[in-house]
Amino acid sequence: MTIVAILAALIAGAWLLAAVESWVTHGRFSLTRPLIAALALAGRESIVPRKSDRLFFEAAPVLLLVAGLLAAAVIPLAPGLIIVDLATGALFVNAALAYVLVALIMAGWGPDGAYAMIGGWRFLGQFVGYSMLIVMPITAVAMRAESLSTLRIVASQAALWNIAYQPLGFVLFVAAALALSWLPPFDLPAAAGDLAGGVETEYTGVRLLILRLARMIIVLVLAAAVTIFYLGGWLGPWLPGWAWSGLKTVVVAVGMLTLGRRLPRIREARFLELCWKLGVPLALVNILFVGVIALVVPT
Amino acid sequence: MIADPGQILFLTFFGAAAVWFGVVVFRTRSMVRSAIALLFSQTAVGAMFLVMQAEFLGVLQIMMMASEMSIMAIFMVMFMMDPGGLGAMEMTHQKRLSLKAGGTGFVLALAVILLGGWGAAVQEVPEAAVQTAALGRELLGRSMFIFESAGLTILTAMIAATMVAIAPHGEDEA
Amino acid sequence: MTAELVVVLIMAAALFAIGIYGALSQTNLVMIMMGVELILAAALLNLVAFWRYLHPGAMAGQMFVLIVMTVMAVEMAVGFGIAVARFRARGSVEVEEARELGG
Repeated sequence: MTIVAILAALIAGAWLLAAVESWVTHGRFSLTRPLIAALALAGRESIVPRKSDRLFFEAAPVLLLVAGLLAAAVIPLAPGLIIVDLATGALFVNAALAYVLVALIMAGWGPDGAYAMIGGWRFLGQFVGYSMLIVMPITAVAMRAESLSTLRIVASQAALWNIAYQPLGFVLFVAAALALSWLPPFDLPAAAGDLAGGVETEYTGVRLLILRLARMIIVLVLAAAVTIFYLGGWLGPWLPGWAWSGLKTVVVAVGMLTLGRRLPRIREARFLELCWKLGVPLALVNILFVGVIALVVPT
Repeated sequence: MIADPGQILFLTFFGAAAVWFGVVVFRTRSMVRSAIALLFSQTAVGAMFLVMQAEFLGVLQIMMMASEMSIMAIFMVMFMMDPGGLGAMEMTHQKRLSLKAGGTGFVLALAVILLGGWGAAVQEVPEAAVQTAALGRELLGRSMFIFESAGLTILTAMIAATMVAIAPHGEDEA
Repeated sequence: MTAELVVVLIMAAALFAIGIYGALSQTNLVMIMMGVELILAAALLNLVAFWRYLHPGAMAGQMFVLIVMTVMAVEMAVGFGIAVARFRARGSVEVEEARELGG
């Protein structure tokens, strides 16, 4: 029952986000457009490039989808509305999303094309930058909740949402989430206009459909993670819990899809420099700050 | 001794997967495939941790290996003549000796495993949240010094590796 | 005898044997490191199995696993550092071509 509810929410969310993305890129909002695009992709010929690594080529979109779904399994929409409440849920989100990297490398290597391969390895470079900025803000969140369970992390924000408690962590986590879901300004792996689609270049038909769907689910899961870690999850007046979770998630996801487009794309070396010379020290400051407050202010 | 058949089934399954992917690492010609096979072997080991109810360690293993092995893959591509494995290059030496060494190791370990008196298995285990908390107390309590020295080791390794790898002055410019 | 423990130990022994074979038979530094990673994975498996089936109350067992994971990361970092330096100096990381290190 819960699984069905969560899956339905994911599909509805992915549909909505696809509509928003096409609105952002083409300037026209239409709910039917993603459906038509999906149908068109499903009906189109799915080409396998010559001399491709067939196993990688077939497995990569599926692995991407599985990574997104696994991460969704520990995300609660409301108390009780969670597929599995792991004691290490916050870490598990991160572990599942680490396979996004593996899937993209496989998708880049598999089709034996120059653009795709450069896109895949670029994402590896990007990963070296953002991975610390995912883990360290989560550490600070878990410090406040005194638990890694996603349910308890939300419950710990009853008095004050984490966005006010640790705004630094929020900014870093959202930036890292943008890099993880290769959205602009960190869209080096796909880099339209630079790599001709990057990892997506050689994919067509149903495989491309799965790839795009998986990407939307990953954006959605990341937005839900931001909601849970920083925006108090289901907490809120009047509306029922699942509505609050859904609303906040959609707002964060729309923000992630739109805001970054105003910025110029960041070069790989510059991104690494920013992450390690600015991001990591700030994340450490954030952890120190949360630790000091936890000791000084009685709960 | 009452054993849990479900647990044995899953352990056998993931164990077989780990061993199978381990074999693939040295059987395939494509270097990227070999790195990804190693990754899935390690992931299967992580899954075995989960079956053995060491939740934190299992999740940690699954998470760490994804990045470690991907980095391994790019180093393969950087340093190999033929990362795609299209040229059928011979990349092994002293095969017979290695097989003998591996086989001897396996037989010796097997003998110890089967002959050793392990005593009865403890069936109850602390639940995951309690375990994680206890592990934290262990790390920052009794074993703090060891934990800190592990951190120091990493720092030393980072500095040393960067020192070794960094280009001689001016070589990487332009 | 405890069936679960023995199953895990046998799987770990098999991984160990594959790792030994790989580390000895490969000529490329990166492939040798893959063999070493397999050996360490076998060690991890043993540690967790002994913790789980013999001493589930002793968290020092789990801590030891963390230390071995550290060793894996350190091995990777230092190994790749050496590989980069070697590649820069000689254009290859084949161990057969590193005879001069034998002294």
